[in-house]
Amino acid sequence: MKDGRFRKLLDAILVPLLAVLSGLVLMGILILFLRKPLFESYAVLFANGFGCREYGNCIFITALERATPIILTGLSAVVAFRSGMFSIGQEGQYLLGAAAAAWLGYAIHLPPILHALVIILAAMLVGAGYGWIPGVLKVKLGVNELLATIMLNSIAALIVEYLVQFPMRADTSAVAHSPVIDESAQLMSFLPGSKWGVGFVIAVIAVVVVYYYLWRTKPGYEQRMAGQSRKFALFGGIPSDNSAVRAMLISGALAGLAGAIEVMGVHRRIMTGFSVGLGFDGLTSAILGQVHPIGVFIVAILFSGLKLGAQIGLQLKLDIPRELGGTIIGFIVLFVAAGKFYEQSIVRARAWSTRKQGSNLKGDSG
Amino acid sequence: MEGFFSVFTVELLNSGIRLATPILLAALGGALCNQAGVLNLALESKMLLGAFVGILAAYYLGNSYGGLLVAMVAGGLLGLLFAFLYHKYRVDLVILAIAFNLIIVELTVFVMRAMFGNVGTWSDPSIARIPDIEIPFLKDIPFFGPLLSGYNIIVYFSWLATIIMFVVLYKMRSGRHLRAVGENKSAAETVGINAILLQTLALVISGALAALGGAFLSIGHLKLFTRNMSNGRGWIAIAAAMFGVNHPVGVFLASLFFGFADAFSVRIQNVTDLPPNLVKLLPNVATLLVLIIIGLRSKLALSMARRRFRAQLRAEEAALPGESST
Repeated sequence: MKDGRFRKLLDAILVPLLAVLSGLVLMGILILFLRKPLFESYAVLFANGFGCREYGNCIFITALERATPIILTGLSAVVAFRSGMFSIGQEGQYLLGAAAAAWLGYAIHLPPILHALVIILAAMLVGAGYGWIPGVLKVKLGVNELLATIMLNSIAALIVEYLVQFPMRADTSAVAHSPVIDESAQLMSFLPGSKWGVGFVIAVIAVVVVYYYLWRTKPGYEQRMAGQSRKFALFGGIPSDNSAVRAMLISGALAGLAGAIEVMGVHRRIMTGFSVGLGFDGLTSAILGQVHPIGVFIVAILFSGLKLGAQIGLQLKLDIPRELGGTIIGFIVLFVAAGKFYEQSIVRARAWSTRKQGSNLKGDSG
Repeated sequence: MEGFFSVFTVELLNSGIRLATPILLAALGGALCNQAGVLNLALESKMLLGAFVGILAAYYLGNSYGGLLVAMVAGGLLGLLFAFLYHKYRVDLVILAIAFNLIIVELTVFVMRAMFGNVGTWSDPSIARIPDIEIPFLKDIPFFGPLLSGYNIIVYFSWLATIIMFVVLYKMRSGRHLRAVGENKSAAETVGINAILLQTLALVISGALAALGGAFLSIGHLKLFTRNMSNGRGWIAIAAAMFGVNHPVGVFLASLFFGFADAFSVRIQNVTDLPPNLVKLLPNVATLLVLIIIGLRSKLALSMARRRFRAQLRAEEAALPGESST
């Protein structure tokens, strides 16, 4: 029983693990092409992505801080994918949630904790509303949710860009940005000089809640069934249309929450170029994390560590372009998608090892 | 209002046609793939690859036309890789597209920085832009002359590709086979059509076309490469293919529509003080509306078919008792 569970877990993580290893090997090849020191590069990458310089001054903490929005947008993708909605609208929902949070942060004034709660709720509502659009379009008109969310992403990006440059603009500086949000709306951080704080705790809670919702509650079960087979769900009496729209509402709310936390905990305002593809990072972490909340959690931290290591390690210390990090992440997704290749070799390796054991036994008895 | 209407000139139509060209090329490829039943969401990355490889090859070959060819080969090879992974390892095409869209954005900048130092945009004075060609006689016709003449070879090629694709898909056997594969792959295979070959061909051709569209951006329109240069045009091309119901002529008109919307949003910034971001919304909102219209139309078609079926059923029911009484 326990052995079976372990085997299942191993099967689930073996392909992503091999994919990550292949990605790191590929990175080595690219580094050799650049004629840079191979082992030093790896050392620099990991030291600057996951290491600690001294007690209390850990880059790993920064990786956790950077991972926070990716965890939430990743969860958003998980909820959508598990319910059969191939939505990549996290980016747009994230941006609109962030804009709503920034506006409420400086426009209204409330006592400390209440202010933060109001903002978080509002940002989640805005995200959910923006997720609702492709959900309803899909269910009512059969509009491909993938294409609809792509368009909604660029629409949201342009709207937020407009808001930041015109109505919400604080001053006439070169980079347009909104006023700083009130003290009462800011999320606390745990360490001085770091932005790692309450937001991360909210993300961890979200991981648990999403897991519990999808695997331990009735509506979550309905959503997963509808995601796996629409016809089967209908046959079992599950209104799959409702569960698809509900999935998009939850997915949008999670992405909106990510935007709110990024504003309240990290930047304390919104500015042009606010999103740096965080929605797509969530998407990739969902794919690599086997569309599972815990997988997303691990992968998000891994990704932000890799990016951080490439940015402040490889680029600054060894003059290797920081795009190497993003390239490797893309290839890792590709390797996961090509998982059949690994599975075939795993099966072959298993067959080989069992045959070997079998022949040994035969040899013993004979 | 005077300023508003002064926007509509031949120059606007000209720049609309130019802006439509990369979209048209990629959309034709996307439509071909849709007809063959292989959803190609990687047009964006193939365009970007074409833009980068095209300008790089133009630089090293010293010949921009050579750059175009190399870009097409690169796009075709990427299409071939997709076909290989899809048919051999059953890799999901959508995830494959997401992975490559990510890889190409980062890898092109990585290679650019590795080769030319820490730059965000790369260009070289030795690179020649693809020259514009005036068509003799045609250019002298009033109004239509300036409208149809004076573009570079890629624009004319995109028009030619539209016609060729129409002829191949609807007038030739291989085109009918390709559409049959898209309609029902296993049925097509049972009558001896090589579905894998046709789908592979569709992916390769669409890769080459999208890459040519990308090369139009880097050496046909501008003369530089910059990070994420395709900037969502590949996605718009997918919408254009859907808007044009995957028919070459429809795709041509849809791409022109997007090109004009783009040109209009550029021009209107000069004469009115509408915020540019909001004007840029136009093509995106139009695409979303198009998707909604397509959805409405197919839903309408479905309900019409259902109604027709019911009417037929009723007619048969009405005819049946008559038969039994005789």
